Amino acid sequence: MIAPELIETAVKIVFVFALTLGFFAPVLGWVERKQSAVMQDRIGANRAGVFGFTVIGLLHSLADALKLVFKEDFTPRGAEKALHTLAPVIAVIPALAAFAVIPFGGQYTLWGHQVNLVVADLDVGLLFIFAISSISTLGVVIAGWASNNNWSLLGSLRASAQMFSYEVTMGLTVVALIMYYQSLSLVEIVAKQENFWHWGIVWHWPAFILFFACAIAENKRVPFDAPEAESELVAGYFTEYSGMKFIMFWMAEFLEMVTIAGMCVALFLGGHHIPFVTQAGLAEALGMFGPNGAQVAAMLIGVGVFVFKLIVLLALQMAIRWTLPRFRYDQIMKLGWKMILPLSLAWISLTGAAILAGLMPRP
Amino acid sequence: MAIGIKKVDRNVTLTFWERIYAPEIIRGLYITMRHFAVNLWGLALEALGRRDKRRIMTVYYPEETLIPPPAYRGRPVLVRAENGLEKCVACGLCEVACPPKCIKITGAERDNGDRYPLTYELDGGRCIFCGFCEEVCPKDAIVMSAEWRELCEYDRARMVYQKEALLYPQRNLQKRLNLIRSRYFGVGRYRGQA
Repeated sequence: MIAPELIETAVKIVFVFALTLGFFAPVLGWVERKQSAVMQDRIGANRAGVFGFTVIGLLHSLADALKLVFKEDFTPRGAEKALHTLAPVIAVIPALAAFAVIPFGGQYTLWGHQVNLVVADLDVGLLFIFAISSISTLGVVIAGWASNNNWSLLGSLRASAQMFSYEVTMGLTVVALIMYYQSLSLVEIVAKQENFWHWGIVWHWPAFILFFACAIAENKRVPFDAPEAESELVAGYFTEYSGMKFIMFWMAEFLEMVTIAGMCVALFLGGHHIPFVTQAGLAEALGMFGPNGAQVAAMLIGVGVFVFKLIVLLALQMAIRWTLPRFRYDQIMKLGWKMILPLSLAWISLTGAAILAGLMPRP
Repeated sequence: MAIGIKKVDRNVTLTFWERIYAPEIIRGLYITMRHFAVNLWGLALEALGRRDKRRIMTVYYPEETLIPPPAYRGRPVLVRAENGLEKCVACGLCEVACPPKCIKITGAERDNGDRYPLTYELDGGRCIFCGFCEEVCPKDAIVMSAEWRELCEYDRARMVYQKEALLYPQRNLQKRLNLIRSRYFGVGRYRGQA
């Protein structure tokens, strides 16, 4: 007999893959086109259809993917073939792996079996995310170097400098939260946000803004898209990529968006919790479904709330991407080292002082 | 002459709130999200059949066509008068005025002495849609129609229009005719008809 833990883990992994790769990756491609179109008084993609059904342009993601799959897999002359092939894989895997430690629900007891809705409940989940996401920098750097193209190399140079600098700041913005929650486990951090007044964003909204900015810079999206700056570097580090490899970079970007949103939800927006509703209260309100039914219903609601918060943050990222112009490269560096870094350090000292003085009650 | 340095005022003195940038992000987001909300509402109304309420100006081209205003110069056509005959008297002025020389006319005479074009050939592949033929025509016989779509062909020979393909009923061209009368034959004489 297969152990129930194994089945549980398999189901959770399948769910995470379905949510990120199956749902968000294609849908975000559609959202990017459609949201920008509606913002700019346009209609947006609405032509691809099957038997006349266009589903407000949703099938364009499918058509794009299909087209790119059948495209020539081109490697330029003089490129490092092995590294050129490896780079998109290195870029896309961390984005997926980082989602493993983000809890998309709470703990529930189903038929006497304890279910914890996170793929890997690591005690150092937060550090795991930082460790894993820094690997994706390598993918970008390798892609630029292996392409044997000046634009690519410039793009990857910019990317490496930018991602290193913002990773420092991103790590520092989270330090205040680690002090506040006294934990590095994301599951524990989310569990401590059951009370709305303990949500990260209530006390630590400056950290949220800084973290969000750093996360967008990490993901190299506008306004921090100097590494791929179309108007300067053709397409930056993935200039020489086509077909499936291009899809992988494209997917890595969207998956990283989802991961950023997931991290923000887990750290600042209370994970699966509904404001002013406790876990016990939710299960009690759903009592009519029986003890197990109530747990299942609470689980579904929890996952739904998590996905809703995810979608809100993703929409915010999209809105920022289509609102702001790109920073100049020196402005990115100045913003990272001279403004966000000192601000995050200041917030750490402020939080520390407030906690010591007893002004910031910890959950 | 020595090169002087001129200080250009680029008007880039930012206020304090602009300099710290975060409020400007929120202002920008407010503008884009306002457009987003208004347009989304318009699209929802369109789905309910209130297309006129939509702010977005896009026309779904192959399904819908924009009808250009009478001042638009589309494919030149010959006017067929109410009696069914072409107005053209084969004077050949358009042939001479045409910059790319795309018009070829062979004139003939009817039994009652009226002149008419036996053949009238207009090479659509050479026409530059300048409207000189229309301007020079003493009889308002050739005018620029509003026709602008599906004028392309895979074969240049098929873009040469013969007289039959060029004839157009006068009532379909009335707006353009009124416009060119007021334009080329003196404003005031036909004022109010354009």
